[in-house]
Amino acid sequence: MTPAPPVPAQWPGRYGDELYRFALSRVADADVAEELVQETFLSALDGLATFRAEASERTWLFVILRRKIIDHYRRQARVSYVGLDEISEAGPTEADYFAPENGHWTGQQAPASWLNADADLEQQELHTILQRCQERLPKQHGAVFAMRFVEELSAEEICQELALTAANYWVIVHRAKLQLRRCLEKHGLGKN
Amino acid sequence: MLRIITCQHATMLLEQQADQLVPRPLRASLWLHLRYCPYCGRYAKQTVQIAEWARAAGAARAGPGLPAAAKERMRQRLSA
Repeated sequence: MTPAPPVPAQWPGRYGDELYRFALSRVADADVAEELVQETFLSALDGLATFRAEASERTWLFVILRRKIIDHYRRQARVSYVGLDEISEAGPTEADYFAPENGHWTGQQAPASWLNADADLEQQELHTILQRCQERLPKQHGAVFAMRFVEELSAEEICQELALTAANYWVIVHRAKLQLRRCLEKHGLGKN
Repeated sequence: MLRIITCQHATMLLEQQADQLVPRPLRASLWLHLRYCPYCGRYAKQTVQIAEWARAAGAARAGPGLPAAAKERMRQRLSA
């Protein structure tokens, strides 16, 4: 049996909630999530001719939304784009964690052991803390982190999307992880 | 040959190691560093945990649905 052709006016009712939750899990801001869903529907409407019936309508809309989310990260990173020499102005640097004279952890920044977070914290609580810490990252760092660890793009794809050199990319990943680790520790995961 | 590496270098290598970008001699230096540095040992576990939680948080789909007013607005635009 041939599937019924897409009816765009039915998309918000059928897929709106699911797409919105997906977007909200990525961007945290309700207005931005709403805008991404709307852009998804409008792009789908423009590209209706390219829809292939063998893919489900839902899958097709999610593919478009995912692309919109990556575009959003790219805009976010570009707005605050800084070169390698200037990255230090966009948030904490290695010098905030490691002693310049020997490269070892400075006393206050040395990692403490963590609670057994998976067992001791509700998953929802853990996600909320992580999301808050992600929001505190400089925009460019936040975009790189989300593309790598939430969207699971490769380093090569991220460098291409954000026009970063590999060296620049690794500095950003390293700094984002250092800052997130520290933030999580300060906000509930540290034992000490 | 084994090289003595700093914590700053070790933590960067830990990030790159996840993408299998660390050449063998440096992997050995990292292994040695992790044996003797409890802080970097903790960092090694925690950085993996952070990546796992980020993935899980992205996959979690709980939360409110699209507001009714937004749905209606979009429905009208798509019907036009």
